[in-house]
Amino acid sequence: MRFNTTNVTLLSLAGAAAVIGFGLLFTFERLPVQTVQGGFRGTSMGRVDNPRAAVVLAAANQAPEAPEAADATGERAREIYENVPVLGHLSVEQFGRIMNVMTQWLYPGEGDAVGCNGCHVPGNFASDDKYQKHVARRMIQMTMALNSEWTPHTAQTGVTCWTCHRGQSVPANVWHEAPRSTGPNFLTGPGEQNRPNVAAGLSDLPLDPFTPYLMGAQEIRMQGANQHPRPESRQSIQQTEWTYSLMMHMSTSLGVNCTFCHNSRAFANWEESPPQRALAWQGIRMVRDINNTYIESLRERFPPNRLGPLGDTLKANCSTCHQGVNKPMYGAPMIRDYPELLPAPAAQRAEVAGPRMQ
Amino acid sequence: MAVLSFEKKYRVRGGTLVGGDLFDFWVGPFYVGLFGVTTIFFSLLGTALILVAAAGGGTFNPWRINIAPPDIAYGLRLAPMALGGYWQVITICALGAFGSWALRQAEIARKLGMGMHIPVAYSVAVFAFFTLNVIRPVLMGAWGHGFPYGIFSHLDWVSNVGYQYLHFHYNPAHMIAVTLFFTTTFALSLHASLVLAAINPPKGEAVKGAEHENSFYRDFIGYSIGTLGIHRLGLFLALSAGIWSAICIVISGPFWTRGWPEWWGWWLKLPFWSI
Amino acid sequence: MAEYQYLFTRIQVRGPLYPGVPLPAEDAPRSKPFGFSHLAGKLGDAQIGPMYLGTYGVLSLMLGFIAFEIIGLNMLASVNWNPVLFVRDLFWLSLDPPLPQHGLRLMMPMHEGGWWLLAGGCLTLSLLLWCARTYARAKSLGLGTHTTWAFMGAIWLFLVLGFIRPIMMGSWSEAVPFGIFSHLDWTAAFSIRYGNLFYNPFHALSIVFLYGSVLIFAMHGATILAVGRFGGEREVEHTIDRGTAAERAGLFWRWTMGFNATYESIHRWAWWFAILTPVTGGIGILLTGTLVDNWYLWAMDRGFVASYPAYDTVNPYLQGAPR
Repeated sequence: MRFNTTNVTLLSLAGAAAVIGFGLLFTFERLPVQTVQGGFRGTSMGRVDNPRAAVVLAAANQAPEAPEAADATGERAREIYENVPVLGHLSVEQFGRIMNVMTQWLYPGEGDAVGCNGCHVPGNFASDDKYQKHVARRMIQMTMALNSEWTPHTAQTGVTCWTCHRGQSVPANVWHEAPRSTGPNFLTGPGEQNRPNVAAGLSDLPLDPFTPYLMGAQEIRMQGANQHPRPESRQSIQQTEWTYSLMMHMSTSLGVNCTFCHNSRAFANWEESPPQRALAWQGIRMVRDINNTYIESLRERFPPNRLGPLGDTLKANCSTCHQGVNKPMYGAPMIRDYPELLPAPAAQRAEVAGPRMQ
Repeated sequence: MAVLSFEKKYRVRGGTLVGGDLFDFWVGPFYVGLFGVTTIFFSLLGTALILVAAAGGGTFNPWRINIAPPDIAYGLRLAPMALGGYWQVITICALGAFGSWALRQAEIARKLGMGMHIPVAYSVAVFAFFTLNVIRPVLMGAWGHGFPYGIFSHLDWVSNVGYQYLHFHYNPAHMIAVTLFFTTTFALSLHASLVLAAINPPKGEAVKGAEHENSFYRDFIGYSIGTLGIHRLGLFLALSAGIWSAICIVISGPFWTRGWPEWWGWWLKLPFWSI
Repeated sequence: MAEYQYLFTRIQVRGPLYPGVPLPAEDAPRSKPFGFSHLAGKLGDAQIGPMYLGTYGVLSLMLGFIAFEIIGLNMLASVNWNPVLFVRDLFWLSLDPPLPQHGLRLMMPMHEGGWWLLAGGCLTLSLLLWCARTYARAKSLGLGTHTTWAFMGAIWLFLVLGFIRPIMMGSWSEAVPFGIFSHLDWTAAFSIRYGNLFYNPFHALSIVFLYGSVLIFAMHGATILAVGRFGGEREVEHTIDRGTAAERAGLFWRWTMGFNATYESIHRWAWWFAILTPVTGGIGILLTGTLVDNWYLWAMDRGFVASYPAYDTVNPYLQGAPR
C-alpha cells in the first residue's frame, strides 16, 4: 500500500479512535447486572445494581457484633455515678455497657485522646470540661428521639451512634455551608452551581441543596398542582434545579434511582408513588430536626477545627446514615441490641434532668 | 390508476430472493413477493393480538391502550398470555414483519436494478428496535425490560428508564445520538431548501442547476458538498443517529448501573487535575 | 469483487477551480477559491471556497464571535481564571440567565445576568443577520428563498426559548443558560417542573417530525444512492425531465408502500418535516407555564393517560411529621 496524505490521515484517525474507544471501555461496568422490579410491569421502575459493587458495599456496611446484653436490674447509674443526667435511669451494668460500646463506635483504640478519653477527662469521668461530652450527651438525647418520635422513618430498625459514626468521632459524610461569591461586581465568580457537584452525583446542579431543604424548611415540591397555572404556582425552572439537586443527593446516598420512590410521569402524585416515598418524606423532616434541634444548637460548643469555613457545624444529610444503602446496614435492627438508647420509660422520664436544650 | 404512465415497462419478472415466480406479482400498486405474504401474515397476527390484548386491558382508546411486557420475575421464559405473553408474541410478530419488509425491499430493489441501500438503511432502524426489545432485555436477564406497546405507556417507560439513571442527558452516547438527530434534521432542511430553491426560482427566473446550487453554498459557508455528497452525508447522519441511539440504550443497564452524571468522573479523576 | 456502492468516490477528476456563477454588480466580490481537498473529494465535492463575505455575513460573524467570547470569558472567570480548571470543568461551566428577582429588566448587575442578556442579544442579532445572508445570497443567484424560510422555523424556536416565553412568564430567569451540562439541566428541570413534557401534545408532534425527518433523510439518501448508477443525484434535471433514475426510485416506493413521491415532491415532504420540528416544538414550549402548568394533569383531564394499578401510599401531609 502506498502511503500518501489521505492514507496516513485516515490511519491516524482510526488509530486514535481505537485507542480512545478502548480506553473508554474501561470507564464502564460489565455484565451481569441485577434488577429489582419496583412498579407495574412495563413501567421500568425499580433498581439496577452492579452485583460486584453490591458485594463491596455489603462488606463496608455491617453492624458490629453486639456485646452480651446487660442486666437491667440493680442500682441505677445515677445512684452510683455523679453527673449522669440523660442515662441515669439505666442500671449500672447497662450504663457501663453502653459507655463501653460507645468508645468502639466513636473513639476506638487506646490513648490520650481515644477510648474513654475521647469524651471524658482522664481520671475524672464526672467532669464536663471536654466539649465532646456535651456533644455526646446531646447526641444521646437525639438518638433517643430518633428511636421514639421519629419511628415514622426509623421504624423498628432504629439508629445507634454507629449508624452515623461508624468508628469515627466525626462521621465520614457530613456537610457544611460553602462560601459562595459572585465575584467582584462586574465579573462572574464561583457561584451556586455550574461546577462538578459531588453531592449531586457529579451533575451540574446547585452545589448546596442542604441549607435550604435539610436545614431550612423551604418547599421542595415545585410541580404545579393544577393543570392550569395558578397565582400560587410560581415555582421557577431554576428552583426546580434545586429540588433536583436534593433528589440526586438522596438517590446517590441510598444507592437507588428516582424510580425507587417515584413514577416519573407524575413525580408529585402520591397514588402513583411507591410507599418508600412517604418514608423519605419523613426522613427529610427528621434530618431537619437533627440539624436544627441537635447539631446547630451546639455551635458554641465546637472548636474551630470542628466547624465549617463559615463557622457553622458539620451537619447531617441522607448519606450520613445511609452511606450508599437504602436501609442503613441493610436494615439490621441495631436498636434491638441496644435498649439503652431508647428513651427512659415514662415513669422515670421526669427524673431525667434538664429541659430540652436549645 | 394503480399503474403509473411509465410503469408498465418496469413490471418484469425476476429479482426475487426466495420463492421464484410463485408470488412475483402486484396487487394494485403493491408488490407482493414471498416476503409480502409473510409481512401480511405477521402484521395481521400481530394486530389481532394487539386487539385481543387491548380487550383484556379494559380500554380501546388508542392513546391509552397498554400491552405490557411480563414481570421481571419471569426472566427470559414465556409468560402467561394475559401477564405479558401477548407482548412476547407481538414482539415476535413485529420482528417477523420488519424482517419481511426489509427482505421485500431487497427483492423490489433487485427487480428495479437498484442498489441495496434502502433495505440496509431500514435494517438499521429494525436493529434499533431489536436492541431495545431483545438485546438489552436478554443482557439484563428478563423480557420485562422491553418497552410496552402503547402510545403514552411507552413514553412512561422512556421517562422511567431515563430517571433510573438519574439524569439521562449525561449519557455520552445519548448526547452523540441527540446531536446526530438534530444535525440530520438540520441537514435535511438545508438540502430540501436548496433543491426546491433551484427548481422554484422567483417569477421570471429560469430553473437553476447544479452550478447555482454549488455557488450558493460556496458563497454561504465556503463549501458545497455537491449533489451526490449530500445524500451520502444525509444517509450517514441518519443511520449514525439510529446506531448511537441503540448504543446509548444498550449501555444503560448492562454496562452502567449508576447515574449517568457519575460516568464523567473518569475525566475529573484524571491524575493531573483530579478532583 | 464486490459492486461499487456509491458511498465514497473512487476516482476524483480535477478540472480548474470553479469561481461560481457570476454575481450581480451590486454584490461584493467573492474571496478566492482555496483549493481542492482530496479527503473532502472522497465524500463530496473536492473544491473548498470561494466564499462570499458581504455585510450581513461579516456583521453576523462578528456578533457571533462577541457572544462566544462573552460566554467563554465568563466561564473562565467563574473558575477564577484558572486555565486548567477551565479545561477540566468546561462541560460544567455556564453563563446563567438573570436571577428571578430581576424580572424583565434590561439593566442589572453584570454578574447577576447582565452578561447573559448581552450574549443572548448578540447571538440573536447574529442569527438574524445570518438569516438575512441566506436571503441575499439566494436573491443574488436567482434562487428561491426556501432556505431563509427554513431558517426562520429554527429561529422561531430559538426566540421562543430565550425571548418570547420568558417575556410571557415575566422573567428572564426562565430562559436557557449557556453551557453544555447546564442547558441539559434546564431541559430536565423544565420537564420536571411542568408535569412531564411527554404529555405535551406539541412535544409529541415535534418528536414525530424529528424522528420523521431522520427517517426521511435515511429513505431519501438511500434511494438516491441506490439509483446512483442511473445518475439519480441529478435531482433538478430529473425533476424537469424525468429519467430512469427518477422512475425507478418512485416505483420502488410505490411497490413497497403503495404510494410514492416525485423528485421534487420528496423535497417538499422533507422540507415540511424538518421545519415543523422546531415550529411545533416552539409552540409546545410556549404553551408550557403560560396556559398549562402540569401536562400530566392536563392529559388526565383530557383522558389519554394509561392507567396502572395504584399504590396504597398514604399522603404523609395528612398525618404530618412528628415535629
